[in-house]
Amino acid sequence: MSEEEILEGLKKSVIDFDEDAVKEYAQRAIDEGVDPQKAIFDGLAAGMEVVGDLFQKGEYFVPEVLMCADALYAGLDILKPHVKVDEKTRVKGQVVIGTVEGDVHDIGKNIVKLMFDIAGFTVHDLGKDVPLDRFVEEQLKTDSDIVALSAMMTTTMTGMKKVIEKIREKNPKVKIMIGGAPVTEETAKAYGADATAKDATNALSEAIKMVSSLREMQK
Amino acid sequence: MAHKVIFQPSGSRGDIESGKTILEASRELGVGIESICGGKGTCGKCRVVVQEGFFEKFGIHSKMENLSPLTEAEKGKLKTGEIREGYRLACQTSIKGDVLLFVPEESRSGGQIVRKAAGEVKVDIEPAVAKYYVELEKATLEDPTADFERLKAGLEKSHGLKDLAIDFMTLRTLPDVLREGDWKVTVSVWMDREIIRVEPGVKDTLAGLAIDVGTTTVVGYLTDLRTGEVLAIDSMMNPQVMYGEDVMARITYAMSHDDGLRKMNEAIIKGLNKIIENTAKKAGLTAGDILEIVLVGNTAMHHIFLGINPEPVGLSPFPPSISGSIDVKARDLGLRAAPGANVHVLPIEAGFVGADNMGVVLAVEPYKSDETLLIIDIGTNGEIVLGNRERLLSTSCATGPAFEGAQIKYGMRAAPGAIERIRIDPKTKEVRFKVIGREEWSDELEESPGAKGICGSGIIEAIAEMFKAGVIRKNGTFNPELETKRLRKDENGQYEFVIAWKDETSIGKDITVTLSDVRAMQLAKGALYTGCKILMKRMGIEEVDRVILAGAFGSYIDREASMVIGMFPDCDLDKVVAIGNAAGDGARIALLNKDIRREANEVAKRIKYIELTVDPDFQTEFMRAMHFPHMKDRFPHVEHILEGIPVEAAQKR
Repeated sequence: MSEEEILEGLKKSVIDFDEDAVKEYAQRAIDEGVDPQKAIFDGLAAGMEVVGDLFQKGEYFVPEVLMCADALYAGLDILKPHVKVDEKTRVKGQVVIGTVEGDVHDIGKNIVKLMFDIAGFTVHDLGKDVPLDRFVEEQLKTDSDIVALSAMMTTTMTGMKKVIEKIREKNPKVKIMIGGAPVTEETAKAYGADATAKDATNALSEAIKMVSSLREMQK
Repeated sequence: MAHKVIFQPSGSRGDIESGKTILEASRELGVGIESICGGKGTCGKCRVVVQEGFFEKFGIHSKMENLSPLTEAEKGKLKTGEIREGYRLACQTSIKGDVLLFVPEESRSGGQIVRKAAGEVKVDIEPAVAKYYVELEKATLEDPTADFERLKAGLEKSHGLKDLAIDFMTLRTLPDVLREGDWKVTVSVWMDREIIRVEPGVKDTLAGLAIDVGTTTVVGYLTDLRTGEVLAIDSMMNPQVMYGEDVMARITYAMSHDDGLRKMNEAIIKGLNKIIENTAKKAGLTAGDILEIVLVGNTAMHHIFLGINPEPVGLSPFPPSISGSIDVKARDLGLRAAPGANVHVLPIEAGFVGADNMGVVLAVEPYKSDETLLIIDIGTNGEIVLGNRERLLSTSCATGPAFEGAQIKYGMRAAPGAIERIRIDPKTKEVRFKVIGREEWSDELEESPGAKGICGSGIIEAIAEMFKAGVIRKNGTFNPELETKRLRKDENGQYEFVIAWKDETSIGKDITVTLSDVRAMQLAKGALYTGCKILMKRMGIEEVDRVILAGAFGSYIDREASMVIGMFPDCDLDKVVAIGNAAGDGARIALLNKDIRREANEVAKRIKYIELTVDPDFQTEFMRAMHFPHMKDRFPHVEHILEGIPVEAAQKR
């Protein structure tokens, strides 16, 4: 099987959320000496980009994207250990991500995290219901470039404003993204965030798009 | 600086401070404008049309320049043509000068059909208040015993009541009443320990009020405490609606406005006083005849009613400020029932599973059942109780307001003109429907049915019928190969299906169900199903004996349709029962029997609350439950319907 066929197979299997097929192609990539980094980016991640398009077009919805993500992670588990160490450490950026205090919804956040993961960012996932100060501490500790905050309820969304103020106070240069069902462009502006996802129901498509453009930058 | 603002067609007008939004102005002037998202610019329901020109009658020059510029949110929610016609979103637009605004019919709130009739309740009548007639000896020089002690002695002698106290406000009126009645009086005693009312002569009216404070609707049932008979019902839209449509929006309002809690508290108290007055009047009584009140409501409504800050309830882990029941004097809350009347508020089970759910539990009594019951109370939040006499679990799932018609493009509340029933021919994909307020279906009418939108139960039928007819597939997408002009793309290139053509509506446009509407329903029903499923898993059971749909909404949805789309796990359709406003029934039960109040506190403690989002299977279950009817689970009881779905549509991705 040619490298091209393997990459195409990985891509297609992610789109078809066929976990078993992804695993097979990933193993084949290793067996046939395909550069694992390439298999991740031009196979798995390329598939996820198509998933992003399908989501935006309305063909896919949350369940399909989650299943694609599962398929992608199954491939990642096989490929990642084979990525050479120097490439692994060649980080393009660091992100602190988490769902803010008082909020336990993390499906959207996990998918955004996945996008950062496959784009080659080092992701510091603080999980859900994260005390506001933890974001500030983690950003300082890791010197991350981006802080991504998620909230699914209007009541917890207000906490984002406080985090943004605190982070800006300590480090005015850091980029801050916010997302989640109640967040709008206006909220982002009002809270002083640098970016948000446009889609109000879930922050998926914008995150996927953003990561696609990051992938462009990397090329 | 203030500007003149006029709303049409109501003609309400007044001076509004510069910088306030149109929505704020509408509240100040008492104009009802729909605002489902609570003024965030996301629901697009608060459309108003700016009327430009000089209006002599009002002496103002109304122009677009007198308003803040269009926001991004408005550009997203309004069509180019609408913007040209002067449409704005009331929540997004602030007032900088004089304006005259027209509120189109679809943006007007109010006029809702209240579907909260009183159900049958079975209960032993043991009210908290009892009346005793007593004849006392007049005070004389030989026996100058004080009035209260004389009354106490009389009650002990003739009725065996010991150690009675007296409500302070009642004491103030005691001397006059005793003399007015010539020492023959009727005494109302609360819980055999406190005198709360004394009336001259024989007065055997004994009335109490059961109140259900819903997020959207408030209902009061004036009840005869001797017979259990409902004497009068009155209901209204929860006056807090103007501060936010759902629970979270209200909590946020309290968090972000210094006087937010006070305003919402005053609004509900004022509303309840109206209900007290109206029900008493309907029954030929006075507000002062209402001697006991029992109130239920979800946790946020409960807190706001009591004037307790609801903020912690809105943040994980959502702790309420008190879980046990509360007894407080009506007058301390500002309620104008009898001055000595008590208000009993049922206990909160946990977090979002509030006193309203406790009412449901009292009405259904799963804690006395051998069968395992799955009780689903559908509202903006879905509260679920699963169990039997051995074990009870509960949870709350965020279904969002889709079931109530919000977040749906042509969604509306259950009001006249709302489409509530829908049938789609599986072959031709032709649609017939029925609107609230008309007996006939659309195809039986000569004239236009005048549909205005689709209500919550209508949305469920629409989705179920579209699924059954192969218009939408298992995963929620539309089947693009359908040959019907009802399936088309809207201005955003999104698929939509026409339910009512323009000439069948009264809003001047077609009423459709869009892909986003289907998605909103997938999230809502997926959340509800996931809640049921996880409770069943924790209980270690695969099926339940009975599904009980509580809430007014549950009575109006089609049971078969809701199972076909997978709102809850499979069950024999004959064992799926709707019981109406059980929260209100529970309030009446607790009103009629004081011992049940103690039982309620005990049961509340026994129900174990399960937080869904921390369950390791939550994400997977939620994902699977978003398909129609489900990605994996089977539905043997509606299998025959599912098998009849046109194959080409159902199986294609």
